[in-house]
Amino acid sequence: MELLKASDLVKRFGNTNAVNRINFYIEEGRCVSLLGPNGAGKTTTLKMLSGLLAPTSGSIDFKGEKARDLRPFIGYLPQYPAFYNWMSGKEFLVFAGQLAKLNRKEAEKRSEELLERVGLTNAKKRKIGGYSGGMKQRLGLAQALIHRPKLLILDEPVSALDPLGRREVLDMMREIKEETTILFSTHVLHDAEEISDDILIMHNGEIVISGSLGNVMEKYRQPILQIEFESQAADWLKSIASYSFISEVNTQGNKASIVLTDMVNGKQTLLKDIVDKKIPVRKFEISQTTLEDLFMKVVKA
Amino acid sequence: MTQWTVLYRKEMLEMIRNYKVLWIPIVFVLLGVMEPVSAYYMPEILDTLGGLPEGTILEMPTPTGTEVLMKVLSNYGMLGVLILVLGAMGVVSAERQSGVAGMVMMKPVPYSSYIISKWAGLVTITLISLFIGYVASWYYTSLLIETVAFEHIFQSVVIYSIWLVFVVTLTLFFSTIMKGNSSVAFVTIFVVFAISTVTSILGKYMEWSPATMTEHAGQVLLSGELDSSFLLAFITTIAIIIVVLISSINIFKHKELLE
Repeated sequence: MELLKASDLVKRFGNTNAVNRINFYIEEGRCVSLLGPNGAGKTTTLKMLSGLLAPTSGSIDFKGEKARDLRPFIGYLPQYPAFYNWMSGKEFLVFAGQLAKLNRKEAEKRSEELLERVGLTNAKKRKIGGYSGGMKQRLGLAQALIHRPKLLILDEPVSALDPLGRREVLDMMREIKEETTILFSTHVLHDAEEISDDILIMHNGEIVISGSLGNVMEKYRQPILQIEFESQAADWLKSIASYSFISEVNTQGNKASIVLTDMVNGKQTLLKDIVDKKIPVRKFEISQTTLEDLFMKVVKA
Repeated sequence: MTQWTVLYRKEMLEMIRNYKVLWIPIVFVLLGVMEPVSAYYMPEILDTLGGLPEGTILEMPTPTGTEVLMKVLSNYGMLGVLILVLGAMGVVSAERQSGVAGMVMMKPVPYSSYIISKWAGLVTITLISLFIGYVASWYYTSLLIETVAFEHIFQSVVIYSIWLVFVVTLTLFFSTIMKGNSSVAFVTIFVVFAISTVTSILGKYMEWSPATMTEHAGQVLLSGELDSSFLLAFITTIAIIIVVLISSINIFKHKELLE
């Protein structure tokens, strides 16, 4: 079922359209990732969906109805969550819960639950001012969930964290995914590939690719050859570019990734070539283009 | 409990935790007590400090109680206003700057609740400080100089409080539209003193001005009676406070939070 639908959404800042007529929908129960380079308009889009920013034009429908105030249904974690540093973690959660119209008792109970869940029970009485970045992120996640929102929106939830903190937040998201719909933005493609069901790729304020992760990968997937040389082999790479089955050659130091149109034929021809010309090869691997390749292609186009 | 009360309680709790609820009243008490004490001990102070040539006879009439209390009000008008503005300058701007205002507003909180709770918090601390300070001043005045009728005191402090409420409302307004704390304080103080100065220069044409509240407060203290122009000034002041609050809410609504 369609939970949220954005139609012709535009946000204008001065003379530039940060978000330029985007259309998309989010299905209930899915985990959707919004990808795009910095400045693509991800944060602006998320803020409009969370009700913090009024769109210049366009509309947002929630459960098929034109929504006036989305805030009761949405939990939002901004990229840089801020708190009252003089409050303790628990105090802030209770405060946030009461603002979301829970009564004091409910807010207390829910806060305890969430503190337990995000692993802050031991720090609940400490001042937020003394929390680490990872702890603040987890507290931010807890405050977003306090009123059991229908849609959880996370803006770059893991970008500012160290590998350990990233792992923790991703694991939590995987759990939360079972209960509520998640929309999160990221530029770490690996994370998107790991936990999302659907992806939206934004570039220059527009949505360029959308669909379920599987479908998108299927549709844009291309066979690829990855060769690692013992020394630079620029000459050879130049010479093979003329073969008809090669559509693209990318070199990075001693590594080259070659996009092929005809894998069976191309593989044999190239292997033979390597043997004939005695090219020193360390690795020869057949694989598929990843989300990252697709992303790079979209963004550079 | 409505969201408004939650926010108001948070304001009060914050002022307790950062000791504002302590030091602002203390400043008002000091300002209030210093006046009668220094008036009473002035001859002795001059004596001990010396500097006067031998044989100078200095006639220093001890001021009356009302005179002392009027001096206290004028101190509140300068230093008291300064302290209140400095204490209140970050009320919205600091929360916008840190991003926590956005964290509050992404919960279904009406924009008006946010601004009005801030305003109520400021008014509370202002009234507490003014009343405590003024009562202390009255106590010392009656101890050292002479007793002034309490109902005059009460009326004048109520009238004076309207002026201070006007000042903190302006601070809240500038704190909503601007970002830097110091520029908020600077602009507010500039505007407040401009209003006071213009009012005292063009007295005749400015009978409606909120700044006349300070004069009315003194008037009541002296004679116990209200000037006829009080009603006009009272109505315009309340009207201006309401208009400023409403525009603060509307401006806040259109500010981008969480940049």
